[in-house]
Amino acid sequence: MFQKILIANRGEIAVRILRACREMGIRTVGVFSEVDRNALHVRLADEAYAIGPAASRESYLRIDKLIDVAKKTGCDAVHPGYGFLAENPGLPRACSDGGITFIGPPPEAMEAMGSKTAGKQLARRSDVPTVPGTDDPIENPEEAQSLARTMGYPVVLKAIAGGGGKGMRVVPNDAAFPAAWRDAASEAMNAFGDPRVFLEKYLIGPRHVEIQVFADAHGRVVSLGERECSVQRRHQKVVEEAPSPVVTPELRRKMGEAAVRLARAGGYVNAGTVEFLVDAKLNFYFLEVNTRLQVEHPVTEQVTGLDLVKLQIAIAAGHRLPFAWESITPRGHAMEVRLYAEDPDNNFFPSPGHILSRHAPTGPGIRLDEGVYEGYTVPMEYDPLLSKLIAWGNSREETIARLRRALDEYTITGIRTNVSLFRRILTEPEFLRGEIHTKWLDELLARPRPPAVAPRAGTEEAAVIAAALWHIEQDRTASDGQPAAQTPSRWKMQGRREQVDRTP
Amino acid sequence: MKFDVHLQSVALGARTRVVELERQGSGYSVKIDGVPVNADAMQIAPNTISVLLDGQAFEVHVTPSLDGTIKLQSGPHEFMAELRDPRAWQGRKHGASEVEGRQQILAPMPGKVIRLLVNVGDEVEAGQGLVVVEAMKMQNEIRSPKTGKVERLQVKEGQAVNAGEVLCVVV
Repeated sequence: MFQKILIANRGEIAVRILRACREMGIRTVGVFSEVDRNALHVRLADEAYAIGPAASRESYLRIDKLIDVAKKTGCDAVHPGYGFLAENPGLPRACSDGGITFIGPPPEAMEAMGSKTAGKQLARRSDVPTVPGTDDPIENPEEAQSLARTMGYPVVLKAIAGGGGKGMRVVPNDAAFPAAWRDAASEAMNAFGDPRVFLEKYLIGPRHVEIQVFADAHGRVVSLGERECSVQRRHQKVVEEAPSPVVTPELRRKMGEAAVRLARAGGYVNAGTVEFLVDAKLNFYFLEVNTRLQVEHPVTEQVTGLDLVKLQIAIAAGHRLPFAWESITPRGHAMEVRLYAEDPDNNFFPSPGHILSRHAPTGPGIRLDEGVYEGYTVPMEYDPLLSKLIAWGNSREETIARLRRALDEYTITGIRTNVSLFRRILTEPEFLRGEIHTKWLDELLARPRPPAVAPRAGTEEAAVIAAALWHIEQDRTASDGQPAAQTPSRWKMQGRREQVDRTP
Repeated sequence: MKFDVHLQSVALGARTRVVELERQGSGYSVKIDGVPVNADAMQIAPNTISVLLDGQAFEVHVTPSLDGTIKLQSGPHEFMAELRDPRAWQGRKHGASEVEGRQQILAPMPGKVIRLLVNVGDEVEAGQGLVVVEAMKMQNEIRSPKTGKVERLQVKEGQAVNAGEVLCVVV
């Protein structure tokens, strides 16, 4: 097993990895940019070293500096977390040149599976369903139309040179095909100077369901089941859960087998996620592979009882996956919300700044993976993810109730967070019924907001009393230099005196 | 002590309540709008106040803003409040201590500039509105701290601003 691991990341994921290392008795080395000296991962690491200015390109993305720190501190492994260099084959290559183990897949597997096109080709070769369609342009409209009929409507025409929805037409039925073809081709010509289009099946309201796979270096590959991540705002996941409300044991087995086949074909080792789109008839189609630990890995941990980071470390150290894991079935339900420093009432405007106070939720079925603390200043340079609040319970209903309860307990002042977004999502009837898809949240946010719920009687009075009391306490703090609450009580002092007197 | 609390919230709109707190033993006796209420309030942590109102429990988190207003959060509900001590306020508001020199007017919170109330070169009075910034779905008029002339406007209507960003300069 490793003696010391360098964590090439920051924020909540650096803290998450540190905790796994600490539990395994492995020493940790943190790295930080100029603005991260006071970050939680620096406080918790055994050792921490500065690696440059705030800009990621000059710090967290500098492979040379990371390898240099790893060598100087005698690290035998590097964990990349997610984001930053996690999917850059340059890091595992530099590690292996320096005689250091990279905790993740081999660089060749990253290349074979990581890019959308390479992944799609591999999926076709390994008999994993992809969204039906042609990747190549079709010259002849009659040929295209007959292809569309075989595929089944609706279909979508997309410009080869496309982007931003230009030269794109959804075709609902056969009668609409010729006109849609003309429009798409001429729009593509106008926008990109290239009229060529290709054809794909159009999925209505698809869900995003992904399979967590693990592969050891001895040829064993297992699936740890699915996560449903359909609640997304502008393609960014915000709520994730396991199991998916629609995945049946049969579908789980089929998707798991497809993901395992793909991982095997790509020579994959360590933790990876195969993302699929699932349509209303529960057909699934390959989307892409993430060759790293996912942000939403805790929901899988809560329903499988496994620690995925420890598993990653063990596999990187050459350990085998035990056979029994092939039969893993999820127990209970888990759900995660991503708390961001952004203002949902103000177009999700980022809200970095100083955290004046913070109260973290606790209690049954609650986990908080966090990279912040009271008094911390959230820097403006990085991703606004503050914490991941995870709840689990025996059923989806119990899990949602716990999550709502925990969100009510969670208070953070000084910066704005998107907590209110989750209060809304977690009460929407469609969400409660599990009727979600990848555009669901964007559609919800485009609808008029429900009228603000009137606070319960007394809230306004409590607020004004609090304001007045706060003002008095502020004045008092300013005049005596210490808040009234900290003046030692005479009872306590008397008690202490008696204790001291009693000591012989 | 007696305070006028100007309160704004999405759910309840804008209003003013008069709160009186008088020391009584270790706590306070409380009147709201002149009517005694059965309230027990204590600060349990910095900026966190627990209020028992006829036995109903509330916890209120207080966040001061740069412009002197405070934000009050109780569960999912938020209020923006401005506190005036009727005795102290007179002196502060209408007193002589007006700021001198070149003044940068900063955005007190992240938001969106929805209206410019002045043009470059305009003469302004102390307390006159300069820019309206919308934040938390509420419009906040940012006022001039001094009598002078608008030297520069750093923002345009519709522009998003960060807390602390310079909106305009009054000399």
